[in-house]
Amino acid sequence: MTPAGLRARLAELREAGAELRARPARATLDALAGVLDAWRDPASPGRAALEAELPAATGFSRAMVREGLSRALHGWSGYALRALVDAELGGSATLDGKGPTAAAGFDTTAVILAGAIPMPTLLALVVPLVLRSAVLAKAAARDPVTPRLVARSLAEADPGLGRAVAVVEIPHDDADLTAALLEADCVWAMGSDATVAAVRARTLGARRVVIHGHRLSLAALGSAATRGPALLEATTALAQDVALWDQLGCLSPVSVHVVEADPGACDRVAEALAAALAAAEERWPRGRAPATAAAAIGAARDEAELRGAAGRPVRVFAGPGTAWTVVREDAPALREAPLHRFVRVHPAESARELVAALAPVARHVAGVAIAGFGPHTLDAARALTALGVSRVCAPGTLQTPPLAWHHEGQGVLLPFTRFTDLELEE
Amino acid sequence: MSRPRALLEADLLAWMHEAVWRPDDARFARVALEVFAFQFEHCEPYRRFCTRRGATPGRVSDWRAIPPVPTGAFKEVPLRCFPAERIVRTFRTSGTTGAARGELHLDSLSLYEASLLPSFRRHLLPDLAPGGRARILALAPPPEETPDSSLTHMLATAIAALGAPGSGFFVSGGALRERELRAALADVGEAPLLLAGAAFAFVHLLDALERGGAKLALPASARIMETGGFKGRTRSLPREELHAALTDRLGVPAGRIVNQYGMTELGSQFYDSVLAEPGAPRRKLGPPWARVRIVDPETDREAAAGGPGAIVVLDLANAASVAAIRTADLGRRVADGFEVLGREPGAEERGCSIAVDELLGGASG
Repeated sequence: MTPAGLRARLAELREAGAELRARPARATLDALAGVLDAWRDPASPGRAALEAELPAATGFSRAMVREGLSRALHGWSGYALRALVDAELGGSATLDGKGPTAAAGFDTTAVILAGAIPMPTLLALVVPLVLRSAVLAKAAARDPVTPRLVARSLAEADPGLGRAVAVVEIPHDDADLTAALLEADCVWAMGSDATVAAVRARTLGARRVVIHGHRLSLAALGSAATRGPALLEATTALAQDVALWDQLGCLSPVSVHVVEADPGACDRVAEALAAALAAAEERWPRGRAPATAAAAIGAARDEAELRGAAGRPVRVFAGPGTAWTVVREDAPALREAPLHRFVRVHPAESARELVAALAPVARHVAGVAIAGFGPHTLDAARALTALGVSRVCAPGTLQTPPLAWHHEGQGVLLPFTRFTDLELEE
Repeated sequence: MSRPRALLEADLLAWMHEAVWRPDDARFARVALEVFAFQFEHCEPYRRFCTRRGATPGRVSDWRAIPPVPTGAFKEVPLRCFPAERIVRTFRTSGTTGAARGELHLDSLSLYEASLLPSFRRHLLPDLAPGGRARILALAPPPEETPDSSLTHMLATAIAALGAPGSGFFVSGGALRERELRAALADVGEAPLLLAGAAFAFVHLLDALERGGAKLALPASARIMETGGFKGRTRSLPREELHAALTDRLGVPAGRIVNQYGMTELGSQFYDSVLAEPGAPRRKLGPPWARVRIVDPETDREAAAGGPGAIVVLDLANAASVAAIRTADLGRRVADGFEVLGREPGAEERGCSIAVDELLGGASG
């Protein structure tokens, strides 16, 4: 691939996008809805191929991939997509310019994918197409599989959609190819702060740039969830949230905060969570962790053990190798999170103390799972909302966001949409 | 009852003063186990840490089984074998404002300095005649500005012992004293020239030279030692690019540019072998009283030959703190030394999650 070749591909996509826009928006929406419905079926060719190929490409275990996809795609139906279009655009007719407000996507959208979690990739290819914007997707280094399979599904469902999608693999340090990629009319960049900052710096023009940076998630348990069956239920559910996608998703909790509980609550939560993670490891083994991550986990375990050895109430619960780790902390402040199924359990004397502890990272928090607050559940949720968190949900549901989730507090389609208000009378 | 510290240190000082370094596995093993027994007895948190792992002096018979503490522990727990009131110097890791900083407490500098000097000389000034001195230009702040910097202390110690007139420090108030440094570089005299300092200070120098369109041609005797990373700095440069730029702008060939691998928590340092063993593969070498293991982080056993693993150091110069340290770095064994590895390809592509330490900006050193 050369910069000239990439620009030629972008020109072809622009033409394919124009073809899409010449059709009723409904036709495109129907085709996309059909693709989503197909991907919900584990026996569909695209889904089966993804389950088969993703583990080798990403290092995830096969069982975890199967479970993660099954849960995440369950609610991502064609119906949900149509409902999203209705909710955010007032229906597909708006895209055809019918009514007082016309909506349209950009002619082309460059999508810079990141990470190894397939759902954001699926969404990133579908969203611009709903708006009939052709998509040029740069595959993430760790997952070249998902965008290729999604593109193939789209082409099989609708050749017009197939012509409007291209997936390329570009070395992240190839400045010339990246510059050509960023000539698209709209840019959607996912990735680390460094990646998205580089994209921002290179797209200081009139084009639309949408950023989805790296995020993390948390859990907060009130006293009612720290003993008895409620404890078992909450920690089992949280262990699933941690285990799915090996804690590498932005909706993966890195810490559990035990709020307003008795002195033994943190220990009970940590012990129960450790047992639940051990059980999760049996069902959905963690995939391989890079040596860097494994080394970080080992160091973080040792460091916590040493704090415990120094007389602080810090305890370490660890699985075989670096498979999973729970550290019972003695203070509310967040600490290093090596990921790959490494969870810290922090005490917080009050919701106020929890909010103060989260403040330094508040703008990076995607979701919070909460339980055990009884009649104060909504108050706790509102306190978290004030931090800027974009999702508050129950344990066990972090990894199954609805299609319409306001990721980063934004709409799903809206950031990629151009509206025109027609204020003329007939 | 462990061997008294005075006797241990006397043995170590004698070792450090030997003119010729000979590999001596038995000697290292013996002293390492003695140092472990001493630290087990006198450093309570370390004793508890080891005891929980079943690693007591009576049960550890191989120095490789001495439990290492992670560098991060020096931020959390006072790891020393003497009471706080005897502290005469504390070296601290660099770090962002408000973040915890690792601390190495010392009640004496004799072992620390005795350890650093022979390595410094052997790996940076192997051509120095007995009694000779080199012009050492330090790209680091002076001791009066940063008394808690181990790098500054190392350079000050080296200048005092080996520095020729004109040696000195060329960073002040957080800024490179570019004019004075360039004047010093223009008047190097007869003594061998060593530019030594933090990698990010060299980046500042390169940036200044580039802005002025200047290229220097340092004398053939010149050599460079750079150390440290770029965490928390506004700009970073891969090490290969840094070395290439130093060659381009200063005229110092790659074979005379040495990266030092050291850390505040260690009394000894490791250096690229290029000056001490020109022509041999570039690898990190240390003194005989410090050894490195490359450990598979999944199993805590030795990594496969040539494979990546966590760098674990047993540095007997750390006699009064903890000698066995697990670093946060990955490395690979190379012949009788090792190399420090960058991040694995794709390792940064974690998913869409992010580690909390990146958010908090906590830098360790």
